[in-house]
Amino acid sequence: MSSWMVGIDTGGTFTDLIAFEVDSGELRVAKVSSDPSDPSSAVMAALEELFATGVKPAEIASLVHGTTVATNAILEGKGVKTGLLITDGFRAVYEARGWARPDATDLIDPFYRKPPLLAPQSLTHGIPGRMDYQGNELAPLDEDAVRQAARALKDEGVESVAVCYLFSFQNGAHEQRTAEVLAEESGDWRVSLSSVVLPTIREYPRQSTTVIDAYVGPNMQRYLERLSDSLIERGVVTPQVFLMQSNGGLMRITIGARFPNQTLLSGPAGGVVAGEELARITGQQEIVTLDMGGTSTDIAMITGGRADETNEGKIAGQDIGTPMLQVRTLGAGGGTIARIGPDGLLKVGPESAGASPGPACYGRGGELPTVTDANLVLGAMAADNVLGGRMALDKAAAEKAIKTHVADPLGLSVVEAAAGILRIVNTNMAVDLRLAFQSRGEDPRKYMLAAFGGAGPLHSTMLARDMKIPKVIAPLYPGINSAMGLLQTSVRHVYLQSSVARLSEIDVGRMNELFDGLEARAAEDVREEGFTPDQVTIHRQVDMRYQHQGYQLPVDCPEGALSDADKPTLKAGFDEAHQRIYGASAPDEDAEVVTFRVIAEIVVPRLELPRIESGGDAFGAQISTRPLYDLETASFGEAAIYDRAKLAAGDRFDGPAVVQQFDSTTVICAGMSCVVDPWGNLIIDTGEAA
Amino acid sequence: MSLDPITTEVVLSRVRETTEAMAHALFHSGYSPILRESQDGTAGLTDAAGKVIMVGGGIQYHSMLYTKSVESLLAAYPGDAMRDGDSFICNDPYQAGNSHVPDMVVLTPVFYHGRRIAFGVSVAHKADVGGLVPGSSGAAAREIFHDGLRLPPVRYWTVKGVVPEIENIIRTNSRVPDVVVGDLRGQVGSTRLGAERLIALSDEYGVDTLVAAMQSLIDRTRERVKAEIASWPDGEAEAEGFMDHDGADLKTPVKIHVRTIKKGDRLTIDFSGSDGQTKGPINTPAQTCKAVSLLATIAASDPTIPVNAGAFDALDFVLPDGKVVSPLYPATVNHYFPTSHLAYACVVAALGKLNPARAVAPPGLGNGAIAIGYKEGRNGKPTVQYELMVTSLGGTADHDGTPMVMGMCHFTPSTPVEIVETEYPIRIRKFDIWQDSAGAGRTRGGIGFVREYEMLSDVILTARTANHEQPGWGVAGGEGPPVCVTSINPDGPDAIELAALDTREAAAGTIVRLEQTGGSGYGSPLERDPARVLEDVRDGYISTAAADAKYGVIIAGGQIDEAATAARRG
Repeated sequence: MSSWMVGIDTGGTFTDLIAFEVDSGELRVAKVSSDPSDPSSAVMAALEELFATGVKPAEIASLVHGTTVATNAILEGKGVKTGLLITDGFRAVYEARGWARPDATDLIDPFYRKPPLLAPQSLTHGIPGRMDYQGNELAPLDEDAVRQAARALKDEGVESVAVCYLFSFQNGAHEQRTAEVLAEESGDWRVSLSSVVLPTIREYPRQSTTVIDAYVGPNMQRYLERLSDSLIERGVVTPQVFLMQSNGGLMRITIGARFPNQTLLSGPAGGVVAGEELARITGQQEIVTLDMGGTSTDIAMITGGRADETNEGKIAGQDIGTPMLQVRTLGAGGGTIARIGPDGLLKVGPESAGASPGPACYGRGGELPTVTDANLVLGAMAADNVLGGRMALDKAAAEKAIKTHVADPLGLSVVEAAAGILRIVNTNMAVDLRLAFQSRGEDPRKYMLAAFGGAGPLHSTMLARDMKIPKVIAPLYPGINSAMGLLQTSVRHVYLQSSVARLSEIDVGRMNELFDGLEARAAEDVREEGFTPDQVTIHRQVDMRYQHQGYQLPVDCPEGALSDADKPTLKAGFDEAHQRIYGASAPDEDAEVVTFRVIAEIVVPRLELPRIESGGDAFGAQISTRPLYDLETASFGEAAIYDRAKLAAGDRFDGPAVVQQFDSTTVICAGMSCVVDPWGNLIIDTGEAA
Repeated sequence: MSLDPITTEVVLSRVRETTEAMAHALFHSGYSPILRESQDGTAGLTDAAGKVIMVGGGIQYHSMLYTKSVESLLAAYPGDAMRDGDSFICNDPYQAGNSHVPDMVVLTPVFYHGRRIAFGVSVAHKADVGGLVPGSSGAAAREIFHDGLRLPPVRYWTVKGVVPEIENIIRTNSRVPDVVVGDLRGQVGSTRLGAERLIALSDEYGVDTLVAAMQSLIDRTRERVKAEIASWPDGEAEAEGFMDHDGADLKTPVKIHVRTIKKGDRLTIDFSGSDGQTKGPINTPAQTCKAVSLLATIAASDPTIPVNAGAFDALDFVLPDGKVVSPLYPATVNHYFPTSHLAYACVVAALGKLNPARAVAPPGLGNGAIAIGYKEGRNGKPTVQYELMVTSLGGTADHDGTPMVMGMCHFTPSTPVEIVETEYPIRIRKFDIWQDSAGAGRTRGGIGFVREYEMLSDVILTARTANHEQPGWGVAGGEGPPVCVTSINPDGPDAIELAALDTREAAAGTIVRLEQTGGSGYGSPLERDPARVLEDVRDGYISTAAADAKYGVIIAGGQIDEAATAARRG
């Protein structure tokens, strides 16, 4: 019997499925339209396409799902009616949104607006009771006030209640008691406690995150119940069904409804995980991923084989403090529109023609020139090779759009205008890449650029050359690489707990107690997921800073209980990280511990990328030649065109060249050389030697 | 040198990258909550003559002040006195461009093969630079000497590192030397990073291309602002507002008056109807008045226009010496902030009459700050807590005003309660919405707030907000919000209401309450949809009484009384 691993990624327009047969490495893909009103129906429709190829439901050994249910609930304002209990007298915390960082034009626009409150003031109740900054009770919880609030919220018909009291990260007793009272008043509510959802210092991001948890939790629960039922009804009975999280790890679908926030920014995480997997197999530990699709580009840094994390996420202006992979997103994709700006300069993005009407060359009514149109005009893309020849591109339409909207207004030829579009979109991506390197204090010359997405490999070699990045890697299936990432990760849970103290003064007993508390939560969750304790690997970190600083850096802790002898090690680890990232350190100054972190990981069945056949001579894979424009010399040169499916391990060839495949196109510039590695990855030497 | 529009866009994107990198470095290396929570600082670039090219992050109106700093520096270090690798500081508002003494300016000249092509500049507020009170900006100041240590343009850094003599002078004059020097060094790092980046861009694109692209950015802003102005009908409009008093003579309001004259593609902004400079500290330096007028012009036309020196070329100022918005040395300027905000609101109001499509009700008046000086902070050392106090925006033709942002550049400098209490011996008792603080209107102002502190040790408190007596105004039939209030022990028998600008010693146990008002209303409140009034009542933004008195909506038993409302509204 065959054994299939299946990844299903729900996107805004399409739901993508990829399936790998574990023994043979056979790949099957399916694509169906997403159905925002019932996303599980698209998941099942994608599975039906797979079953239509002969795969049987019982042959599915594991299934990983990337869902946008929670994300869409926020984007569309369709979460449930949510009540909010806060410390009495602090209604301005949520209203002010003290993290608000408007972008440049909003900064001076009197019409600027903040995002709407997901729990309005009318459903917010102040509850007397107060903890001090160390978690000592200053005033007891007013349980009667909780009861009154509960009754008022019941009358309002709320489905969900968020609770966020001041300093609950230090002492969650009032929130816990509140949950008990709420349960007594109405057993039906989903209750989100900030001391559970995100027990970290800074009340606004904790509260915003907790409200989001409450606001989308019931949607998530209903969705997952329906999906689980549908899967079982259809005979997909494996217990290995997981959800992708924005931290890059998986969680069992059975506990997904408890952690809806973990799925909010999971969309780009698959690509980042795929980058980590490339780091592992190639041994190149420093990778920057560039995932360029139709409307946007996601950039992520992988250092020492691990992707960067952040706790400053945002969806539709709503702040999320849940730890997640750090991904920078900019409006640069194949469908991104070029136009003359009000300042008379050529702009590319952030507006996109999307999939519909799409680029002018799609012939679906799009009249504005896009990045894809420029690539077609310059020979990087072939008119007859999109989606494996299933879609033809109209080069004359691309030329007309560029001529009308860019070339004529600027007095340029169509080719010069198309080259300008590429230069600008490449610059926009390079700017974000450089800022990503700068914020880590990293040097691009140590890195490999991983080109993902349908459009990533079209632009990456040019970008890498501009950035002085010595190598580019284009995986075997760049266009579906993010979906493959779903199958290349482990179960991962991250638990945070703030407790601010000076390192020199904090009692190690207290540190151990905090870690033990987090590990107990981890143990409880993984038990609920059906794992045994011996399957779990625990990592512990403490986020530290110098006194007065506002930003922390995570430092790894040694295994086992901490002793006083570990403090200098932690301090040295922090000094080293600070020196690396900010270019300075203060070994003589005391440091502060701010947040304790436990990461629990469990290995589950994962896709091992199969090796491809060996060759050594790329000649047989060459289809033809065609003129390809080179931005550096501003001229066309004859490029060899290769069929990706015919390239074998060890094959080598030089640029200018274009490698075509059903899901993407890779450009290798003149002066660069390419070799196919044992897994079929194209490894391109940009000539920018490290 | 003329550049094609593609190369220009490419190079300018790289300049933008440079200023973003500078801002990131500034806000991530700073030591004090002023930089990390309030973001009270900027970093950016000027050309070799000091014309502002581009600024990253933080407070936009700081940035237009770079010019005067560069000009003073060029005068103080003429010829080749300035060397590659130097960085300079200055903070005298009469020499540098800063608005008041705590805003320290750091300047790093950018040399490319011996040619000075630009300056990396940063302005950032310091927790304390000496002066009469902790936080430096005291109500009792009567001349600039009271505002703290003033430095003329002076070399602070060389290729060998810090100039220790200068740093020692600063340390000696600050109540919190460690955080001040920590932040200052962060500013130096940010401007030097900017210099490094510009040199790399010169290598990559050619120095003439870089300089020409930066110059063209200024030209493009000038042309866009002129085109915006040209699109309005010719005409004149005036606006005025009042500060309660100058902090010295508590009985006399101080007028800001602006007359704007639009003719063809030029706009004249005339402050000559404003009152003369004051004895107390509410004066606003002329460069600050011009900077906020420039921001107001862009706000009232098209906020997508990049803010830079080019906009100045489309504006003519009438700003006679010796006004409250153009004081002469040695007038004190420490409380310039609310005055400049009032000047901004006046210019926005006047321009809204010339260009009604962009008319808005003004933000609440009374922006300011508090500074609390502790003998001992949580770490046992003397410390100063500094927090910006903002109001909310006014209503627009489209929507209610946005709550709790600074009026001149819309960020929310709200230091978390949990950070304040962890770092300082103080308790925050309240950070609540203030019912009925939004100016009534068809679209109302953003809601104001109450922030209440309890001192846990003996402190010296300076509360410097504004407009406790002189209210704001509504637009198109809308109403102004109530005035701000600062009070001590407000609910007790010994309650005291403070002046807008006040310094007090406060013993442990003292309660200090700041009520910061909302924005003004736009359009008649009687035209507001009663359903939205009911929603506001349910949200607690307005009281049932105000729904009746201001909006003519009668609410009984949580529902609108339709008949009574119709009768009341006529």
